[in-house]
Amino acid sequence: MSSTAAIRVEHFTKIYKGSGTPAVDDISFTIPSGSIFGLLGPNGAGKTTTISALCGLLKPSKGELQLLGYPLATQSEEIKKNIGVVPQDIALYPTLTAFENLRYIGNMYGLKGSSLDKNILEHLEHFGLLEHSKKQVGTFSGGMKRRINLIAGILHHPKILFLDEPTVGVDVQSRNVITEHLHLLNKSGMTIVYTSHLMEEAENLCNEIAVIDHGKIIISGQPKELIKEQACSNLEELFLKLTGKKLRD
Amino acid sequence: MLRLTSTIRKELLILLRDRGGLAILFLMPMAMITLMALIQDAPFRDYQELKIPLLLSNRDTSTLGKTIEEGLRSAKIFEITKTGQPESSIKQSVKGGDYEIGIVIPENATTILNSKVNAFVNAKLSAAGLSDSLKAAPAAPGELSLLIFFAPDTKKSFKISILSTLKQFTSKLETQTLLDYFSKELNREGTLSGKENKIDELVSFKEMNTVETPQEMLQLNSVQHNVPAWTIFGMFFIVISMAGSIIKERDDGSYTRILSMPGSYITVMAGKITAYLFICMIQCLLMLMVGIYLLPLLGLPALVIGHSVSAIILVAVCCGLAATGYGILVGTLFKTHQQSSTFGAVSVVILAALGGIWVPVYVMPESIRILSGLSPLYWALSAFHKIFLGGGSFMAVLPYALKLLAFFGFTVGAAWLFNKTKNK
Repeated sequence: MSSTAAIRVEHFTKIYKGSGTPAVDDISFTIPSGSIFGLLGPNGAGKTTTISALCGLLKPSKGELQLLGYPLATQSEEIKKNIGVVPQDIALYPTLTAFENLRYIGNMYGLKGSSLDKNILEHLEHFGLLEHSKKQVGTFSGGMKRRINLIAGILHHPKILFLDEPTVGVDVQSRNVITEHLHLLNKSGMTIVYTSHLMEEAENLCNEIAVIDHGKIIISGQPKELIKEQACSNLEELFLKLTGKKLRD
Repeated sequence: MLRLTSTIRKELLILLRDRGGLAILFLMPMAMITLMALIQDAPFRDYQELKIPLLLSNRDTSTLGKTIEEGLRSAKIFEITKTGQPESSIKQSVKGGDYEIGIVIPENATTILNSKVNAFVNAKLSAAGLSDSLKAAPAAPGELSLLIFFAPDTKKSFKISILSTLKQFTSKLETQTLLDYFSKELNREGTLSGKENKIDELVSFKEMNTVETPQEMLQLNSVQHNVPAWTIFGMFFIVISMAGSIIKERDDGSYTRILSMPGSYITVMAGKITAYLFICMIQCLLMLMVGIYLLPLLGLPALVIGHSVSAIILVAVCCGLAATGYGILVGTLFKTHQQSSTFGAVSVVILAALGGIWVPVYVMPESIRILSGLSPLYWALSAFHKIFLGGGSFMAVLPYALKLLAFFGFTVGAAWLFNKTKNK
């Protein structure tokens, strides 16, 4: 494995129990360290299955997954210490305050004491949530919850951050704060793996993309080059050209 | 350890901020204990001091009528009302539920008995060749039958018991009459002296105490039954809360987030179990305090908890673990909170009914009693009864505690297996 590869996927296949068709069918790709990688595709294409397998939540039916040089099959604990996950759902406890939620998640990563408290407060301040730290998350707006959800994924300074549609349903201001912070995190050396249906956001954010459909990667590379190669004007046009206009439900 | 303690703290914070959930977990069982203890106080007393209403028409003025009547009164289990009503009225009164039993002792019953005995004795002596000169007294016409009416819903076992009690009264009199006649006839032959022939009881029954301490003398009353019963029910109602918490974490992505973190999920589950077990222990303590301090203020007897605190703690902890284990299983098997709460509530009510929470198991039909033995609530209640009524020790309740622990192991194991299979 290359020393610059944060993630290497080789012949990954996932067939769910009771399903004859593979959700992901023999895909291979490499995500370079320090990149912002966009895994794009329509609904049911295999994005969430791929991300779930990379996070150690699903066992591959076939293939090998390596993160930071560790094989996932045998060294998942080491990998889990170094990855952060921001799920699409607001995975927070609504009756706990923002601070209590983050302290619980920090503790789960082994962080504790005043250094954790300081870390939480710094992140809350950065995301404009300091004055809401003692309020219950259930009282927050969608954008505020999304920002807390993101902090929960980066509190332990992971080397790889997985984001599953991190800006879905938020206002422009919150989205701006989130994407700006993702750029900052990336500049600090963090590899970011990102899925989204917002093609404009993906085009601006990602320096590498792969488009997955029907469980197979149909194209991968740098977004600007791919747009140029396929003679499209933007990523959305490229996406529709590759995946078609037929509705996916 | 940090993962465990932070999970416990998180779960407790969530539970404490859920006011509706707290009301279900604490106020509902407290209200149930108070209400059920008050409602069932009278039936429990009735059961312990049961008097069977009996309508007696004694038309015989001689020995047989008097003996049966005295026997019924001395039994102290009947509330006797004497009547001179005809048989048809007695039948109607019993059928209508005014009385459990109706007895008619026919007119001249003693005379008929004496005639029958006289004829029997003479026949036997003649057959034995003791005297040819003896003349048989004329037998009274017809049979001597005491009429007994039972209420339509009277159980067979109860009928047998009453009939054997009555038979006991008449048998002694029959024997005494027979002996008197034999003596009289033999005296006439000069075979026996003229001494009185009173029958002594050749076999007597002596009731022996099976209890050794005043604690063991306690009888099951409304408080002694309802306080432990509804405490266990309340503890098991934590199933709804716990299953809901598991489903919510699964639905909102927290479960996924936790699985993506380093460390074993078992630690997280252990934290959850510990937090809910802590709530169960507080529930148990509060409910017992209601029994000891609140119920006497309402005119009910105070709960007597025995002398083995360690046994109470053992049963409470094992019962709490059984309840939380069941909560984990329900939360794992069902997909939505609605499904889990409906199934959780209904299944706990069924297990409670089988386990003798509503009414004691000993008044249930035999077939249901067999099923009762499968309910963890029955094991817990039996263990509490053993401590509270029988003065049971730690060792005495250990078999029940082990059954509850086995149930906990089974439920958690089944949930783990289900999750493992599902996530393949």
